[in-house]
Amino acid sequence: MSAANSLQVNEAMAAVADSRQGTTYGYKLDTNRLGLWLFLVSDSFLFGGLYVTRWYLLGGHRPDLNQMLGLIVTSVLLVSSFFMNRAETSIAHGDRRGMLINTAITLLLGVAFLVGVVGVEWRTAPFGPADGAQGSVFYMLTGMHAFHVFSGVLFLLVILRNGARGLYSADKHWAVEACANYWHFVDVVWIFYYPALYLIGTVVK
Amino acid sequence: MDNKKSAALREGVLVFLVLAVLTAIEYVIGVSVGTTWLLLLAVVKAVLVATYYMHIRRVLSSEEGGH
Repeated sequence: MSAANSLQVNEAMAAVADSRQGTTYGYKLDTNRLGLWLFLVSDSFLFGGLYVTRWYLLGGHRPDLNQMLGLIVTSVLLVSSFFMNRAETSIAHGDRRGMLINTAITLLLGVAFLVGVVGVEWRTAPFGPADGAQGSVFYMLTGMHAFHVFSGVLFLLVILRNGARGLYSADKHWAVEACANYWHFVDVVWIFYYPALYLIGTVVK
Repeated sequence: MDNKKSAALREGVLVFLVLAVLTAIEYVIGVSVGTTWLLLLAVVKAVLVATYYMHIRRVLSSEEGGH
């Protein structure tokens, strides 16, 4: 085999190897996405069960809560989703600094949400967890949701640390995408919980 | 690349504004009437988040990769 032919064979083999590597990453990405969505669907059954409990126990009544505080914490979570979207968009276009800044803002807003619900609402609510159906419903629903927000904050810390170390790029940033999807999922859950807890029905006497 | 990024960021802003307006409408209706019809607004908001922020179409697409 001549040197020219040998070079051509080597180039062809390298192209095949690159192609395989690309396919492997694309395949992994697709299965990762499917796996994450399956997890989110399974998690939504948990939240759905609690949601049904709220309607079964309280029906056309709602817990005696501060509606303005509910609007504030809802707005904080909504704004956090906006910045999470910006973080993902930034890294998808190779802007690492933008990703880090927007992730940090999302993290702070997540902590602010936790402070608003657990630190303020739980303290100021005129009933405790053992005070009848409204106590059970309110503390269980917000507690389970707050637990997910807390785990989302931990996830944000992980991608913030890894992002600062330069582990993500425009081509490979699955962890950021997963974190963003998880965060938005937590927002979607609150989109349903907020009216059910703060707005719909008359206050429980 | 910059144009694509700007377009993606603009889309994020637009979706956020729609969600903010829907939340404000939801609050106003909620404090005055408190009807269960508010759940319809919640469904619209959830669909917006799932479509534009969670990119649900990516998982439904058969194309490999995406980034």
